[in-house]
Amino acid sequence: MSPTIDVQDLVVRYPRGEAVKGLSLTVEPGRCHALFGRNGAGKTSTLRALLGLVRPTSGQVKLFGLDVTQHEAEVKARVAWVPDAPGFHPWMTVAEVLGYAAALRTRWNLALQEHLLTRFELDLSAPTSALSKGQKTQLALVCAIAADPELLVLDEPTSGLDPLVRRQFLEAVIGVFQEGDPAKKTILVSTHLISEFEGVVDGFTVLSGGRAVLSTEADVARARYCRLRAWFDVDAPLGVPMKTVKPVSREGRMLEFIVDAETDAARGWLTAQGAVRIDASALSLEEIFLLAA
Amino acid sequence: MRWLVDYHSGVPVYLQLVQQAKSAMATGTLRDGDQLPSVRVLAEELKVNRNTVAKAWAELESEGVIENRQGSGCFVTGSKTPLRRAVRNERLAQGVDALIIQAHHLQVTDDDLRALLDEGLRRFHQTRRASGRGELT
Repeated sequence: MSPTIDVQDLVVRYPRGEAVKGLSLTVEPGRCHALFGRNGAGKTSTLRALLGLVRPTSGQVKLFGLDVTQHEAEVKARVAWVPDAPGFHPWMTVAEVLGYAAALRTRWNLALQEHLLTRFELDLSAPTSALSKGQKTQLALVCAIAADPELLVLDEPTSGLDPLVRRQFLEAVIGVFQEGDPAKKTILVSTHLISEFEGVVDGFTVLSGGRAVLSTEADVARARYCRLRAWFDVDAPLGVPMKTVKPVSREGRMLEFIVDAETDAARGWLTAQGAVRIDASALSLEEIFLLAA
Repeated sequence: MRWLVDYHSGVPVYLQLVQQAKSAMATGTLRDGDQLPSVRVLAEELKVNRNTVAKAWAELESEGVIENRQGSGCFVTGSKTPLRRAVRNERLAQGVDALIIQAHHLQVTDDDLRALLDEGLRRFHQTRRASGRGELT
């Protein structure tokens, strides 16, 4: 089976400059992949190229094995997205928005729509102008999931929402979107709120300046980077002979550093140096992002 | 039972679930015939990917400690360990090594470590007897 997302050497150039500078990215069906990056790193431009909203300056964007620029209608029928600030015609009610969205799609799962409306307690007769930001995002998620897409694209979906709405959003993505055929339900999420998605993402790519600076599996990343803190009876030794990813911090009897893949070797070295106590803590994805970006 | 995920342990999330299930079975929190939470329910609760929970349950099933009954869920199958002795010992050896290294770091003597181990085993069997499961053979 073709990868759900297959991006090769993507360049997106705007009159004001290059937003994406040669990005390659592959996501297999059924996986949840995240794009992490600071503002201006190229996340939104990458998503826009995937969704066919902006034409790649060069490079190739394929979804389900189909070139997005050549098979626009077929690709769009299998993708749904939730933008960071969903906008609806203010005069439409929730029911009208759903009817309108359903009319534009080839597939529509009414049972899922009803289930999600109940979950979110959305009032069908409410005009969208009366919805809060959280309710607008919920409505956008109902529209996206009810369309029964194979690929769900989430662009900063939970930023600016209160914690309860964020939790409900995530539960709906895990519990409802992934319900159908988990092997086919793929998620691409761009987010600042990394800790919230920590357990959901299988893999992630850190973007910086329009390029991928780190692309890895979440479990592999957490096993790879480890913060070690050691205490000695005397002054801490100088010079750590392992590969570290941040300046070593040494304060009197305490030594702290982050190793890259050499946790066991570093522990052994610390013991040999006479450490009386060693604390080890794997880095969270957010900490790894801060190191890489 | 309460399931927990620690993202600072460096242990893959699915493996943490496997280990928690096994330790719950060993201590009697989970018993023969008990049902494990469904993939969906636990994934939503822990805010983890469903594939992660599914992978953990598949691992437990392949080791023969749970049984996936089509349509009705996953159930604990029993205390019989289908793993060969060598495999079991190999799995334990890693934990034992880690324990010895930690004891060394904390400057715990070999005798103190043995005493702690004996004490731990005694408490473990006491808990099991209290929950009506008898000794491990």
